Amino acid sequence: MVASLGVRFPGLILINNFFGRTFSRFFSRGWKRLSLIFLALAVTAGALLVGVGVRAQQPVTISFLLRAVEADQMQGLAEQFMAENPDIRIEMVRGPNAADAVENLYTTSFLLGDSPYDILFSDVVWIPKFAAAGWLLDLSDRVSEADLADFLGADVTAGLYQDGLYRMPFRSDMGMLYYRTDLLDQVGLDPPETFSDLIAASEAIQAQTDVSWGFVWQGLQYEGIVTNFVELIAGYGGFWIDPDSLEVGLDQPAGIQAAEFMKTVIADSITPPGVTNYVEEDSLRQFENGNAAFLRNWPYVWAEANREGSPVAGKIALKPMVHDEGQQSAACLGGWGFGISATTPHPEEAWRVVEFFTSYGPMKQFVTEFAYVPSRRALFTDPDVLAEFPHFEQLLEVAETAIPRPPVGQYAQVSDILQRYLSASISDQMTPEAAMQAAAGETRRVLGVES
Amino acid sequence: MTRDYIRERQQRTGWLLVAPALVLLLLVYAFPILRAFWLSFFTENLSTNLEPVFSGLDNYAQLVQDGRFWQSMRNTAVFTVLTLIFELGLGLIIALSLDQAFRGRGLVRTVAILPWALPTALIALAWRWIFNTEFGVWNDILLRLQLIASPVNWLGDPFWAMVAVIAADVWKTTSFVAILLLAGLQSISQDLYEAHALDGASPWQSFRQITLPLIAPQIVIAMLFRFAQSFGIFDLIQVMTGGGPGGATEMVSIYIYAAVMRYLDFGYGAALVTVTFLVLVAIVGLTWLYLARLRAKTE
Repeated sequence: MVASLGVRFPGLILINNFFGRTFSRFFSRGWKRLSLIFLALAVTAGALLVGVGVRAQQPVTISFLLRAVEADQMQGLAEQFMAENPDIRIEMVRGPNAADAVENLYTTSFLLGDSPYDILFSDVVWIPKFAAAGWLLDLSDRVSEADLADFLGADVTAGLYQDGLYRMPFRSDMGMLYYRTDLLDQVGLDPPETFSDLIAASEAIQAQTDVSWGFVWQGLQYEGIVTNFVELIAGYGGFWIDPDSLEVGLDQPAGIQAAEFMKTVIADSITPPGVTNYVEEDSLRQFENGNAAFLRNWPYVWAEANREGSPVAGKIALKPMVHDEGQQSAACLGGWGFGISATTPHPEEAWRVVEFFTSYGPMKQFVTEFAYVPSRRALFTDPDVLAEFPHFEQLLEVAETAIPRPPVGQYAQVSDILQRYLSASISDQMTPEAAMQAAAGETRRVLGVES
Repeated sequence: MTRDYIRERQQRTGWLLVAPALVLLLLVYAFPILRAFWLSFFTENLSTNLEPVFSGLDNYAQLVQDGRFWQSMRNTAVFTVLTLIFELGLGLIIALSLDQAFRGRGLVRTVAILPWALPTALIALAWRWIFNTEFGVWNDILLRLQLIASPVNWLGDPFWAMVAVIAADVWKTTSFVAILLLAGLQSISQDLYEAHALDGASPWQSFRQITLPLIAPQIVIAMLFRFAQSFGIFDLIQVMTGGGPGGATEMVSIYIYAAVMRYLDFGYGAALVTVTFLVLVAIVGLTWLYLARLRAKTE
């Protein structure tokens, strides 16, 4: 009987031989089954215990999704972190290179309720929506006011949503005015301060030199036209949406003036008519080829337009965007930072990763290696950084004028409204005034405020 | 009696055999539609923390006043009607040419289907470059031929942007219509034409009296396919214009995508889906009724 059991369970033969006859007699029918069950249970439990032990020694994986180009650039820092922190493994999932495609991937994964990503590597404008949806952890008790004071003011404000802090700034970005120093010298003018200066300088340059266009910017119906507009409306002393009162300022005089400015520069041939289809690259190409005197764009242009072989290398300078008489310059804030998923099983480890990337040393390494703009104020005046990028001195001046886009949960929606009406206005489908009134009305409806 | 019994049993077996397929169809078609319909009576967006809150007909009341929805509906209608007309016309011409015997016909037929076989997103990207104001081929050709004095901003102008997306869609899907019609043409016996010609009919008469009536079923099928696809066009527009300028090429599908995926407004998105679905069903239903009546008349 025991032998037949041994055929089915070879291990039992061993037990039987080892313990001898007495034990085998003990193996009467009922007991036999029971003992087998116990044996199986013991083995399973043992295996589980061993497994847990091994698991505890294995590193925790912290994963996030980002554009593939950026994953390449951040790989070095990630490896450095893992070498210093063997208990954490950073997994960077390489996404598409279009930012909105990445946003959609994050959105779908969060909608499923159990996001595979522990960290959200986020464009500055996603934060309100993700925070409003309850997908992010509030980070405010993990970081002190003093620590936050080291970052650019706008970069911190942009991470706030209804008293919570949902984003730690990594690299910053802001819009500014680039100009051709040689052309200004030629016509004997100073860099423009106001909107009328800009128009006057453009007209002088277009009349006296062979440069065809004065001022190029981004006018396609997409987020870019909104970033241009944010700078114009603030330059006229107005605002788009007040985040506290949810008041909409598009149909106030400053809003209409800003929309009219966009249209005027096209109508007066200061800006090429093709601008209604321009993204950053198109406007840069005009400026870089020497076809335009002024360009509104982001910090990456500096390196791009000054590279060897560029027709305008060494002939350009940057300054904060122009403004109306008696008003202040404004730069639309962009940039990327880190949030932590509300459903991550490892919030502590995720925070350590975020803390590492946003700390002084790694950020310095990253911005000097890839010519990005830091979000820590001190890095703009760090001697090593300045040695590499002398223009950071002016850039800090621009950075201090940066303003975030309105932190409302329905940001994507209100931005779309503005994009559509601005595009309609500059492509002659509506007057600027009618467009801004319609945009303001729709924005109020979306925000649920009475007009 | 026995015969009835056998028939009944056969019918029951038949139903049993198609039951799994029916269940599958119900799950993948009926369930999502009914669920969207149900959801359209709720407000579920960021202001309700993504929880559904019953709101009756609110979404529909909002929809009636939503200029953007009606604009996108109008755009979709214009796009669908114009692409259908051009694709049928050009498709028929291509099909008739490919039906003729000539050297290298196989090769030409293969080449003709190529645009349809290529991924739409790539095609759209290519067309976007073709219509680029400063660097596009199309402006370059027109400038060289001195047909235009200065570059035209094709995709930045509301009218020309619509023309451009229609042109791109016609270029891409005409071959699909042509292939379907070609199949119809090849099933027509040559004897009919011979007999008709002997009776003294002109080629034009043969075309109207033999070809057209006999490929009518293929025309209807091609048009139904194309109608459904044009009405739901997404990728081509998204890549070529993103719906711009100023919403001039925004189609219903693009708006629904924005409402659901970007604004996270699920309730309103469901209302948009429901209305669009009903419009689609109504149009197909009316076409079907019209065709049925036409058939009844000819019989």
